[in-house]
Amino acid sequence: MRSIRFHGRGGQGAKTASRIVGTAAFLEGLTAQDSPLYGAERRGAPVSASTRIGREPIRERGLILQPDLIIIADESLIDDSSARVLDGLSERTAVFVNTALGSEQARDRFRIPGRVTALDLTDMTLRQFGKPVALSAPLGAVACRLLGLKAESLRAAVAGELADLGLPEAVIERNLALAASCYESVPLVPVEETAGAMPAPVPLWTPVYEPPTVGSARISASANSPLHETGGWRTFRPVLVPDKCNGCWLCFVYCPDGVISMTKDDLPLIDYDHCKGCQICVQECPTKALVAEREQEGAGTWRAK
Amino acid sequence: MAGEMMTGNLAAAWGARLAGVDYIPAFPITPQTEIVEALAEWCDCGAMPARFVMMDSEHSMMTAAGAGAATGARVFTATSSQGLLHAFEVLYSVAGWRVPLVLVNVSRALAAPITLEPDHNDVLAARDAGFLQIHAETCQEVLDSILMAYRIAEDERVMLPVLVNLDGFYLSFTREPVIVPDPEKVAAFLPPFRPAHLGFKASAPHALGVAVLGGTPYTYFRHQMHLAAMNALQVHREAAADFERLFGRRYDVVEGYRLDDAEDVLVMSNAFATKGRAAVDAARAKGRRVGLLRLRVIRPWPAEAIVAALRGRRAVGVLDQNLAPGLGGILVQEIAATLYHDPERPKAICSFIGGLGGKNIHEGEFDAIVARMEQAGKAGRGEGPVLLYTEAEHREMAQLQVLASASRADR
Repeated sequence: MRSIRFHGRGGQGAKTASRIVGTAAFLEGLTAQDSPLYGAERRGAPVSASTRIGREPIRERGLILQPDLIIIADESLIDDSSARVLDGLSERTAVFVNTALGSEQARDRFRIPGRVTALDLTDMTLRQFGKPVALSAPLGAVACRLLGLKAESLRAAVAGELADLGLPEAVIERNLALAASCYESVPLVPVEETAGAMPAPVPLWTPVYEPPTVGSARISASANSPLHETGGWRTFRPVLVPDKCNGCWLCFVYCPDGVISMTKDDLPLIDYDHCKGCQICVQECPTKALVAEREQEGAGTWRAK
Repeated sequence: MAGEMMTGNLAAAWGARLAGVDYIPAFPITPQTEIVEALAEWCDCGAMPARFVMMDSEHSMMTAAGAGAATGARVFTATSSQGLLHAFEVLYSVAGWRVPLVLVNVSRALAAPITLEPDHNDVLAARDAGFLQIHAETCQEVLDSILMAYRIAEDERVMLPVLVNLDGFYLSFTREPVIVPDPEKVAAFLPPFRPAHLGFKASAPHALGVAVLGGTPYTYFRHQMHLAAMNALQVHREAAADFERLFGRRYDVVEGYRLDDAEDVLVMSNAFATKGRAAVDAARAKGRRVGLLRLRVIRPWPAEAIVAALRGRRAVGVLDQNLAPGLGGILVQEIAATLYHDPERPKAICSFIGGLGGKNIHEGEFDAIVARMEQAGKAGRGEGPVLLYTEAEHREMAQLQVLASASRADR
């Protein structure tokens, strides 16, 4: 059996990518299992998905703790401790990072032991679509290639999964083309099978009663909005082109997080500490005065600007 | 006789008043309304310095109660039946927030069909929410239990909300002598609420009961609630001892009546336990060695006290004033499971279902219960669930159905 863990931000397509791999393996006659894990928050929040493929019945469930392959949809996740993308990593784990850096550079920059592969999927997607869209097909393609699944299985899986999502035929065609080119371009690092060692027995531990300051689910640290800065969730930032803005306030009205305020001159002021980069303002802006600009160096760069 | 004539509802309101509660979010429902009315009037005329707010539903009421308690205020509220069910979603939240408020439930059977009189399917539906549950037999006990409830809820070893239950009509609108405790003694019994882990303030936002993704933190917090509920047994013991010292009345998690030499024991809860005592006396007069065990605290489940009271008996008869369709009685299951591991467990457990929707339990029915317990004890084999329903009641019901079909045919 081989196990693949996908990490992305809500909206990037990690879940669908995990399904594409599951379906592709299934179409090749392998046994497959895929399952996403995500929480209360949506766009931009760290999410993960797990896919297991093998020749025997799969007797595991849920999140993969010791993956054979980790697919990271966004380099900013590596520095986000809540995303836990490198959990269970060993020297035999293959890691793929979607980044503008080369494989060697990525391994050094992110201090990942083991075998790192990198490719700028976002750039390839932007060139194909001209705008930021979900990376499901590219992520799925990369994983299929690293796992040695066939190009035609990938093609059928992408077509099937994207059709299930209700995407129009023309969009699916462009995704297929994109998937094929990602499949061809990714530097090859073969993924090893999980060693079938029996897990060691685990001693049970029963917690004792602790005072409610400890034992009740109470968080008074900076994890609470508005003290918690969610700007690091962003992969694309909305940027104002002041000349085009007619001061209509629509971005202010539509912002689901209330992070756009209006200046005295009726210009939008974006609180980048809390903007999750959902791009609803970009979509709603009637004069295209707000445009999406890629966050180049991952989480934290927004501080510098 | 000492005290004054008072309904169970008014006794509940007095409990809140003496406890010096700060905040009362309220919503009325029969047969609980009198509690809300009394508190509203007292707050209005200045007899109580509490903040009283009418809410738009029990769901909002319970949310407000939990949030109020999270600021460190002492909070009281009350509901009944469908109202408790409407608040149900919030019960689990509030318990998970570990806020020590007191909720009075005036038991009333659940719809449909609709009735205003009591049984315990409402309160027992909430038995796994994380609220502790105290079930009162008398109006005096209603008042006293509310004071004890705050004392237990606010203890650092517990910090869970407490539900105090009283039966609709049989207590809510029933007057009997109630001694109103001296406020100074109450202050000694129930010191001001100074929570270490609560204190919601607009200036310092924090989150209670936040999303914890993954089962590991969830299991830890859930298990802490379990340990807190189990701690309540010890805290109840201490509170009961203090209460007895100050007020002269003793309350235990379970209460035995003529148990010492009893061969067969009837297990009951709430107001009808008073009738159960009379039935024990009647059976004793006929030479039968029968006793009664009243379950007063249902959560935490007082397993040790129950085993101690029922160990070595010939037969046990559990009278459930509830009906779980497809199962039978609720409490008999918990009693049976509790006794199973005891090597000296009773030879037979009988299950009786009675008093549904406030239906009376006749002396004759108690007679039948005692006879069937004796029979089961001798045979070494329990029975049930046995529905307490008489031939006369069946005839009356048949007549009603004839009348109902006749009116249907008229159209």
